[in-house]
Amino acid sequence: MTAPPPPAGGDVVVQAVGLRRRFGDLVAVDDVSFEAHRGEILGFIGPNGAGKTTSMRMVTGYLPATEGKAVVAGFDVFDDNMEVRRRVGYLPERPPLYPELTIGSYLQFVAELRGIERGRRDRRIGEVMDRVGLSGWEDRVLGSLSKGYRQRVGLAQAVLHDPQVLVLDEPTSGLDPAQVVDIREFIRDLARERTVILSTHILSEVERLCRRAVLIARGRVVAQGSLDALRARVDRGTRFRVELRHPDAGERAQIAPLIGALEEVEQVRPLDPADADAGDDEGFLPFEIRAPGDPRTAIARLATARGWTLRAMERRAPDLEEAFLHIVGKEGHTQARGEGR
Amino acid sequence: MKQATRRLLAHGTNATLVTVMVIASLCLLFVLADATRWSVDLSEGASNTLQAETREKLNLLDQDGQTLTITAFTSQAGKEEAPFKNQAVEDLLKALDAESQVVSWRLMDFDRERLTAEKLSVTEYGHIVLQRGQERVDISDRELFRRVGTGPDKRLEFVGEAAISRGFSQIMAPSQRVAYLLTGHGELDAEKSGPDGLSELAGLLDRERYEVRPLDLLRTDREGVLPTIPEDAAVVVVARPTQALTAAEEDALLGWIGRGGALLLAVDVGTPTPELLRRLGISVPDGVALQPEMQVPYRDRPIPRFRPHAITTGLIEDKLPVVLSHPAPLKLADAAPEAQVATPVLQSTRDGWIDRGGALVGGGAVYEPELDGAGPVDLAVALELRPGGPMVRAGRPVARVLVLGDGDLITNGMIGDAPGNAVFAVHAMHWLAGDDRRLGVATGAVGRATRSRRLAITAEDASVIRWTSLGLMPLLVALAGLTTWLSRRGR
Amino acid sequence: MSAAWAIFKKELRVWFVSPIAYVFLGAFLFLAGLFFVMGIQQNGEASLRAMFSNLSVSLLFLLPLLTMKHFAEEERLGTFEFLMTAPVPLWALLLGKWAASLALCALLLLLTGVFPLLLAIYGDPDWGVIATSYLGLLLCCGAFSSAGLFTSSLSDEPVAAGLGGVLVLLPFWIAGGAAHLVDWEPGRQALRQLSFLTHVEPFSVGVIDSSHVAWFVLFSFAFLFLTWRSVESRRWR
Repeated sequence: MTAPPPPAGGDVVVQAVGLRRRFGDLVAVDDVSFEAHRGEILGFIGPNGAGKTTSMRMVTGYLPATEGKAVVAGFDVFDDNMEVRRRVGYLPERPPLYPELTIGSYLQFVAELRGIERGRRDRRIGEVMDRVGLSGWEDRVLGSLSKGYRQRVGLAQAVLHDPQVLVLDEPTSGLDPAQVVDIREFIRDLARERTVILSTHILSEVERLCRRAVLIARGRVVAQGSLDALRARVDRGTRFRVELRHPDAGERAQIAPLIGALEEVEQVRPLDPADADAGDDEGFLPFEIRAPGDPRTAIARLATARGWTLRAMERRAPDLEEAFLHIVGKEGHTQARGEGR
Repeated sequence: MKQATRRLLAHGTNATLVTVMVIASLCLLFVLADATRWSVDLSEGASNTLQAETREKLNLLDQDGQTLTITAFTSQAGKEEAPFKNQAVEDLLKALDAESQVVSWRLMDFDRERLTAEKLSVTEYGHIVLQRGQERVDISDRELFRRVGTGPDKRLEFVGEAAISRGFSQIMAPSQRVAYLLTGHGELDAEKSGPDGLSELAGLLDRERYEVRPLDLLRTDREGVLPTIPEDAAVVVVARPTQALTAAEEDALLGWIGRGGALLLAVDVGTPTPELLRRLGISVPDGVALQPEMQVPYRDRPIPRFRPHAITTGLIEDKLPVVLSHPAPLKLADAAPEAQVATPVLQSTRDGWIDRGGALVGGGAVYEPELDGAGPVDLAVALELRPGGPMVRAGRPVARVLVLGDGDLITNGMIGDAPGNAVFAVHAMHWLAGDDRRLGVATGAVGRATRSRRLAITAEDASVIRWTSLGLMPLLVALAGLTTWLSRRGR
Repeated sequence: MSAAWAIFKKELRVWFVSPIAYVFLGAFLFLAGLFFVMGIQQNGEASLRAMFSNLSVSLLFLLPLLTMKHFAEEERLGTFEFLMTAPVPLWALLLGKWAASLALCALLLLLTGVFPLLLAIYGDPDWGVIATSYLGLLLCCGAFSSAGLFTSSLSDEPVAAGLGGVLVLLPFWIAGGAAHLVDWEPGRQALRQLSFLTHVEPFSVGVIDSSHVAWFVLFSFAFLFLTWRSVESRRWR
């Protein structure tokens, strides 16, 4: 439904090397390295509390890294902080709004801080407000806005000075579906000439906007690269879904080990572990089977030999969510690494 | 070392060091600012700024280094002027304290600190006691405040600085000195209190610790004894005699000078000129010294210029004019007598002249070159006669003589009219008595006056003030807040 | 400089639309009015000295309440993150905030101008003294705001910041009283110099003394500098 994102491969604009951040004893981000190029949208994806926000804050220079460095547009975020600030537009996780101000006066304030000349200010504010769907809302008080509108004002704030690099932390959260489409279109537009780092926990957003993504979980980069490559990592073993019924309910537990013993099968996993013993109403049990080749014939043979009833057997196409779960799953599912600050 | 630790150490150490240094240099800057301070006093009449004279006295007190304790008692509580009085006294004491190292002060509640009051045997409200060593000076409430104006303009004024300044002089003065005032030739009278009396001067001198005694040389002359000046004399004053002195008297005065004594000699227009003036190289030409610059509205009261001399130093700084009335011109001999330095102290302005009658223009005298003497005209001359010369015997101290061309200068009338005259007279006495240290520190005839600003309000006015202050203003603010709130509602 | 100006305008704009501002203004004016009425009732003089002296001490307690939100609020709203990633030099941020506090104080003082006007109607005040008294109070406000700004930069908790501000300022008030208890002359002098009352009093009688002006200016600068340090340290801590 959407045009493919523009090809990446421009100059490296954002480079993070071995970023690490501790809060006391807690390591919120550990050894995070990535690159973002001109003209690309780099997805930064991970579950809540994975360290996305902390990473974004280090890249913008708001938070000093405990170790490692980040270079934005050729400037070190620590040593040349002011140069970086001039070139980055940043939408923090929570839009930085003063509830007492009106949208108009707030954007005026931002424009002044950003050093946009007086003559260009009003026109630029008008343009940006149009673009994020705020035209005619100048006099609304920020404190009375809904989440979606606050998000739009936050985005307007980030792009007002036409920055070289945009760091967007969950830009579409709180927007309704129609608005999400608009805003994504806008971000895609922005990325034509700029570099956008998009932090999100919504996979579909990354699939729609990015060609490359960094997967982060529990403060570590667990995978990064083009989306195709990420998908491919799952494809190394093709997965199949099989539904079987053992005639003797008591012997059900034998099914998995027996399939697993097949030469063609690499791994067997009951898909719904809670009900593994019960099966569905008709007593069928779903399994996920991973195999380097095609094990279907072998499984069919085994089922026939053992007297199991085979109801379904299908090949499953890998998607990003699966890739994500797969990769993150390898690291373990616990999310006890604390919220990013 | 870890990157973060390294950074923390580098920035942290640096920051701590810089912070300490910056704070230290700010303190230093303040010390510097304090050392080079200057101030302006914007209050009416610069009422917080001590007079130059008071500061000089404090300076002298500091040099002596002996602690001066000022105990001030409060005014009667409940009296309507009590807050003003107490505040005025406290402000003054603070100002004195700030200016001096040795002044310490306390303001005591007369009703509560009865014991202290009794110890100091103070029995009235608003009394001030100055103490230094064994010396003690009392200043009463009446000397600190005065009422001026009449009717609705009637108000209370605080003139405490002058009073305390006088107190300083008294407490600092060395033991009593004696000033002899020659009598018997129609001289100005120290006892007389009218405009042509000297009672004011006598009072001033008394405060400055001069005992003024009459000196009758004629009596001893009558009794066939050679008249002499008493040994305890500090200064002999010959205040405008209207009859000539006898030869024996003149000899006695010459002898006094010969002993290194001090003499104040005032002459005037039309009075006989003592012979000893000629011996001192001074003549009194005919005529009256006049100048265009007169004390308004008088046509015959010149305000002379001060010439640099020990006597006039403080006066020049304080810009206090001395006023004369019909002064006689003094003329120094072209060749000054040997071993003698003559310095004009008062002189007419450059446009002054010696008027000897002639035409009047517009009711006033004018300079007529063919008739009058040209100015500037000397009006007071200070002489120092060194020992070993023709006048003063060797081995004696330097004799000092001050000749005034105008006896009126020191009379009650002129001292009351021009505060500079009193200061001039006291300075002159100090100089003659060899008390150079007290020069520039004059009588305390001047001083600031802080006036009371009583609010004359009725009960009705008071309630208007109360409601405006406590009700109206907060209400206006509340209205402004409400307006803002309403205008933003629903946006 | 334009950034400082922008911050300055923002602070004032935010302040004047919040209802708490008007409560503060009203309360301050009421307090000042109370001091004024009490002062003239006690003295019967057309003088504002009692009011000014009471106000200077009250400001010591009130100004930290005014400044306590400066950093805590930005932190709470998430706008601090915005300010620290926008190209605003830290000094401009501090200057803007401090100047805004000072401007508010100036407005507070301006509103108390009604009291000298009342005096002028019923009596004959000394305008020179009133002018210097206002100058003294304004200098006080600058110094107190600066200290309040400092404590607000230390704490994310407005109440703690406000209380801390009062605690930081308190020694500068009581030092004067403590000076009387010290027998050692240099110590007494040092304590007296530390007390802001020593430095504000001359203004209340009509004297502008360069060293007292310097004290307030340096005091303000010192705490602005400390604030700068404290905020800046977040960048490398």
